[in-house]
Amino acid sequence: MITSALTPRTDEPASSLLGTLAAEGASGALSTESGIVYLAAGHVVHVESALTPDLGDLLTHSGALAPDGWWQAIDQAGRGCRVGRQLVDGGHLAAGALELCHLGALFDAAYFVFAHDGPALRFRPGVAHWLGAVRPVPVDTVLRESRRRRELLHRIWPDPAVDLAPLARVRTDTVDLPARRSRTLAQVDGVRTAAQIATALACRTFHTLVELRRLAAAGLVVPVVPTATPAPAHAPASAAPGPAPRPATPDEPDTALLRRLLHALEAL
Amino acid sequence: MPGIDESLLEAMRLPGARGASVVDWISGLALGAVGDAPGGDVEATAAETAELARLATESGALAAVGGDPGGSSGKEPPVQDLIVTNTDSYHLLRFVSTTFDSTVFVHLWLDRAEGNLALARIRLAEMADRLVLG
Repeated sequence: MITSALTPRTDEPASSLLGTLAAEGASGALSTESGIVYLAAGHVVHVESALTPDLGDLLTHSGALAPDGWWQAIDQAGRGCRVGRQLVDGGHLAAGALELCHLGALFDAAYFVFAHDGPALRFRPGVAHWLGAVRPVPVDTVLRESRRRRELLHRIWPDPAVDLAPLARVRTDTVDLPARRSRTLAQVDGVRTAAQIATALACRTFHTLVELRRLAAAGLVVPVVPTATPAPAHAPASAAPGPAPRPATPDEPDTALLRRLLHALEAL
Repeated sequence: MPGIDESLLEAMRLPGARGASVVDWISGLALGAVGDAPGGDVEATAAETAELARLATESGALAAVGGDPGGSSGKEPPVQDLIVTNTDSYHLLRFVSTTFDSTVFVHLWLDRAEGNLALARIRLAEMADRLVLG
């Protein structure tokens, strides 16, 4: 059936393999270097990326759902891949709220999976996500939206370094800003990346990026470029807000990924 | 408990309803849509109405709140709805307030001759609440 997709096809971008799988009506999990896309009957049912908060983070960190309710739903329905349905049936969440939050997380992760459309690493047929199908989205819609989001960010401020580098404030005086932008700016500390700021705010990463690119366009935020200074490394000055580039691997998304692995293992 | 589609179909039962959608005002993405859209283009309509909604939520004058910035959580936009009146139709945008990060509104396109704006405004507000509260 779709056995050809089992072997790694490093030459093929994930988006084109996804198109083929959609046409075949495939179900399973497609892994790339930046995330995992789950398909059911050729539709996207879930997307995960280490750079974006997952549904559980968005719901529990915002206070929309008590962590107990989240874990309870995973305990009861993880094995059957019906966690989404369980959240609604168990009275933890309204159906509309689950759909809105789920779609928010799905398109957010999809943006990062397809932003730099790398090769597909492997496709595991038949693998389903423990959340279950909440609101399946056509593959075309996901790919088109990811492309549109990339263009939207480019129109706001054409500097992709804002997306991944640690970010620093240019000025320390207070500026009059819309509420969301102001909250985002308050998290910029010269160390954290957009993904870490999004996690701290329990916000979707793309939506945080929009605010950060607007802040960059306004000259309020700059990416911290790792400077290859010939001088020996200065002592770790934690208080200095100057260019103190951290390692490229941020801590927070790793924690998020590990937590997700834990969820997945426990749901088995 | 209504999901996105059920809620939109409910909005379409209002007299004069031409089309309804749920739109994210930061990305400009339509998360769901039923009925018609102006020019038959749901995506372009979503992107354009999103821009209007964003300007309203970010406006220092229109989104100003006295003494209590952003209400209880600081997350919901103080703007509740936007009404654009056309020669032959109304566009009603109702913001959906959620505890989690969502940034969405419901857009109802209403025929001006057949529709009842006051009724639609009340019903759309109730629908937006039920969508996220059940």
